[in-house]
Amino acid sequence: MSATGFTGIVVIVLFVGLMVFFSYINKDRKTKNLRPIPAYDKIIQEINVAVEDGSQLHISLGRGGITGPEFAAALAGLGILKQVIEKSSVCDHPPIASTGNPVISILAQDTIRGSSKAISVSDRIRNPSGELIGVTPFSYAAGTLSIIRDDNVSANIHTGWFGNEITWITTAGERQSSPTIAGTSQLPAQSVIYASASDPLIGEELFAGGAYLGEGKIHQASISAQDVVRWIIIFIILASVLLNILGIDTFLENILAGSM
Amino acid sequence: MKIDLKSPFSTAVAIGVGIIVLAGYFVPSITNVRFILLRTGLVLAAVALLVGIINLITVHIKKLGADNENSGYSLILVIALLTTLVIGIIDMVQTYLVGKPNFQMTGWIFTNIQLPIETSLLAVTAVSLTYAAASILRKRMDIFSIVFFFVILLVLLGSFSIPPSTLPFLHVIRDWILRVPALGGARGLLLGIALGTITTGIRILMGIDRPYGE
Repeated sequence: MSATGFTGIVVIVLFVGLMVFFSYINKDRKTKNLRPIPAYDKIIQEINVAVEDGSQLHISLGRGGITGPEFAAALAGLGILKQVIEKSSVCDHPPIASTGNPVISILAQDTIRGSSKAISVSDRIRNPSGELIGVTPFSYAAGTLSIIRDDNVSANIHTGWFGNEITWITTAGERQSSPTIAGTSQLPAQSVIYASASDPLIGEELFAGGAYLGEGKIHQASISAQDVVRWIIIFIILASVLLNILGIDTFLENILAGSM
Repeated sequence: MKIDLKSPFSTAVAIGVGIIVLAGYFVPSITNVRFILLRTGLVLAAVALLVGIINLITVHIKKLGADNENSGYSLILVIALLTTLVIGIIDMVQTYLVGKPNFQMTGWIFTNIQLPIETSLLAVTAVSLTYAAASILRKRMDIFSIVFFFVILLVLLGSFSIPPSTLPFLHVIRDWILRVPALGGARGLLLGIALGTITTGIRILMGIDRPYGE
């Protein structure tokens, strides 16, 4: 086994161990011990607004599939879709879901059906769509505009894999004066989202949807596990800097390379 | 026949395949199994594309019948999709009959219709990005937005090749921003995304998150 493979196993075992540990010690805790993320507060607020005024929420899941590095963003988006559907079950109109990837479209429709059955509104008319809008970046963005411009859509939630074309989608939401909550894992698109969305999700905030929208204890435990690993990484970076300053880093590299 | 994706069987298959694919990265002896599963996944994704296109055309045909102000766009989409499909099939048949690749008509559509449209949309994106950057202070007047705005301004000024952007200190500032704070920030964000990706993957492998239904 290579050193990279061994490191990978160590990281995964560490994460699983920490998640199980934190879910165990937090199992009786009633309150959430999480820093506030305004975008998730806004999602809950917009669900309440949709319930009160009979409007709809639009959730776009981006154009990422499940076979590439973009899978996590797409699956995080699906998790948020599930939570929004469950929380908006008493809405007059169910949320609209749109995607630019056929696999995510099928998974979105399945998530919608599963969540709708769970909340007893599985009739065809009330079920949200989960439709495939377009398979290229611009066809997806252009197709999404018609949904955003729908007068009955009160807020737009864009969570998934997007490129720079998201500026079209977020700017269209702004022109409609509807709140836009957006997050992606692609770095250039994150800067676009920060500039153009009313409530951006930056960095790993996209993956914290389950913990903030009440998915369960294990989601909160995974946030705690991330924090612990983040501190470990910070410690390693600072230690590397210190070793570099002291000139010990090459000594250690030589030991690791077995050349001593 | 109705396939129930929400059965425990599908959950077990998804978790099992996920664990084998993950283990394939670390254990060399099962790398071949990983490749077979990934190739199967790619074939299924291609089939999903077909299902997605059928879904797309069904949705837009329904919109044609409804009292919808966007029904004109739906009509154009259906006509364009069917025309391209028919031309693609004709090209494929000709390729089969001639015995060598013959995708002239499909190539013509791509070169003369799709490529110019996508290029035009890319140009509009540049305008849209500029508008978004210019309007950030109107949306959020906080310290981070102000820093964001002025950093954009400095980097843009340092990138131009016309006066006053030719002043040497602007290039130095631009290079420093790109090399130090921007690179550091990007690495920090990437670390956060990597941590989020790992936890999302583990939750799916543990069966806690099931995007394929309950």
